[in-house]
Amino acid sequence: MCNCENTYIPIPMKVERILNENPDRSLRTYDLSFVNEEDKNNFKYLPGQFCEFSILGKGESPFGIASSPTEKDILKFTVNRTGSVTNDIHHLQVGDTVGIRGPMGNWYPVEKFKGGDVVIIGGGFAFTTLRSMLIYMLENRADYGKITVIYGARTPDLFIYKDELKEWDKRDDLILHLTIDRPMKGWGGLCGFVPTITKELALDPTSWVVVCGPPIMIKFTLPVLIESGFPDNKIYTSLERRMKCGIGKCGRCGIGSKYICVDGPVFSYEELKKIPEAF
Amino acid sequence: MVKIKKTELSGLINYLSEKYQVFAPVKDGKKTSFQKIKSADEIIDSIPNTNLSPKSIFFPQAEVLFKYDENGIKVPKKDEKPFAVWGMRNCDAKSVLMLNKVFGNAHQIPDNKMYNDPYWKQKYDSSLIFGLACNAPLSTCFCNWFDGGPFDEKGSDVFVIETDDHFIMNGISEKGKKFLKEYKKDDKSDIDKEKIESLKQKAESYLSEKVDISNIYDKLNKIWDEPIWEEISSKCINCGACTFVCSTCHCFDVSDEGKSGKGQRIRLWDSCMFPIFTNEASGHNPRGVSVQRVKQRVMHKYNYFMDNYNEHLCTGCGRCVLVCPVNLDIREILKKIIKV
Repeated sequence: MCNCENTYIPIPMKVERILNENPDRSLRTYDLSFVNEEDKNNFKYLPGQFCEFSILGKGESPFGIASSPTEKDILKFTVNRTGSVTNDIHHLQVGDTVGIRGPMGNWYPVEKFKGGDVVIIGGGFAFTTLRSMLIYMLENRADYGKITVIYGARTPDLFIYKDELKEWDKRDDLILHLTIDRPMKGWGGLCGFVPTITKELALDPTSWVVVCGPPIMIKFTLPVLIESGFPDNKIYTSLERRMKCGIGKCGRCGIGSKYICVDGPVFSYEELKKIPEAF
Repeated sequence: MVKIKKTELSGLINYLSEKYQVFAPVKDGKKTSFQKIKSADEIIDSIPNTNLSPKSIFFPQAEVLFKYDENGIKVPKKDEKPFAVWGMRNCDAKSVLMLNKVFGNAHQIPDNKMYNDPYWKQKYDSSLIFGLACNAPLSTCFCNWFDGGPFDEKGSDVFVIETDDHFIMNGISEKGKKFLKEYKKDDKSDIDKEKIESLKQKAESYLSEKVDISNIYDKLNKIWDEPIWEEISSKCINCGACTFVCSTCHCFDVSDEGKSGKGQRIRLWDSCMFPIFTNEASGHNPRGVSVQRVKQRVMHKYNYFMDNYNEHLCTGCGRCVLVCPVNLDIREILKKIIKV
């Protein structure tokens, strides 16, 4: 965390680039650069961590960091326009100043994954921190075994990072399965919900697996993985709540005796099993 | 121990006011609460316990985190003088100690520094708390359930016992001892220990019998899916009054006031009793049903806090029992749970 004196004070960031991820413009990706050199140097993060993104006068909301620490100088956030703060974020222009607080929370155990095969299972616009982890692993490709990605969206339009998906699909050191909920004209990929596709692919249960998506997708994918023989301590997921302070004080993101903002957002299934009301 | 005549309180408050901003129980409209005072005349007897808990001294109901304008962000200036609090009942002094575990530290994080709450620490760390022995607990009090009692000194820097004509003051923390030494340099107070003991016994006799809740933590671990929660929560209207008056409830919201050019970011007390507390922008609400919220409050107080800080997040002050509009009594809930 950068601002050690007072963690409530946001770091100023400049909007460098805005990208519409889908035709209805409900999903936008923001590339932010640090206004102060010092903040940039202090900001050290790993895939899976999140920030409180704020516009002064409008408020703060938590978002997973979609960029990888290997992508220097910028932080990337993909924002779905759904509430009041996200609506204001969608009104930002290139050059505007915003604030962020973070990095907060823990991260995907990319160190632990070294030497092993990794399966990434994502759904909808929750692919943000999964993108971070995927880019990170691709940059350190030799450290990891087979990398498999299963990514589902309701319709082809709702995938995010479409250009990168095309590039990843061409790579021979990465297996990419894209799936949509129902068959559509012009779609050449898989059809079916993520849990079903996960089951059909008969994954190797000695791999590490990371699942991130809407709560309903996580809920139905975990049993499939457990049935396939994945041990509880090799399944990871990332949870979300309406976090405010981000430092374990305000009490909004409590699940059992854990706080998602400091004990999470990344939990292994082994940990989650012990926590009531996790999903 | 230092003994002063009750008439000397005014002098003590003036003495304190030189170095401190002094807070004490006062009449606040129709209610009673802890406020900044200028003289001892404003102080009221804090029996019965003040309507609002003294948590607001260190954790105000609304607190400005920073102000902003075209020149940038400005954090409010530190209070020049540290805080001294007179007359905090045993239960309330203990609750401040619990809150300090949350705001002053961070659980399970190796680098505590980064997760301190600077606004709390700035007020609490330099404060001097005069705890006051409770001579006459109310029928709603149950501090004796939590290893406490009307004469419990935990959380006080100086612990004060009120007799008919005197205040007997005992230094508890280093800060408190140092203060008393400076205040009465050559103290030769003659202390009637028997009198103190008899006051203590009398105070304890007001309390209803202690209920053994030592198994509540384990019980709560086992009854997550039991129908008892429906029974417990059925009459709760989720008004949040209990969390508002609670001396240990500390959930808050962060909100912006003003326009994009000029305004302030504030934090406000919030309550797990409200559905919006956990409602996400997507519409997903992990605690959308009343029974889940009542369960959360009970679990946080008597189970989760134990996991993180090894004690219950309740001091038995009884305020929630007093204010509940539907007479939901936390003591009855606890009794039901230990019997499941």
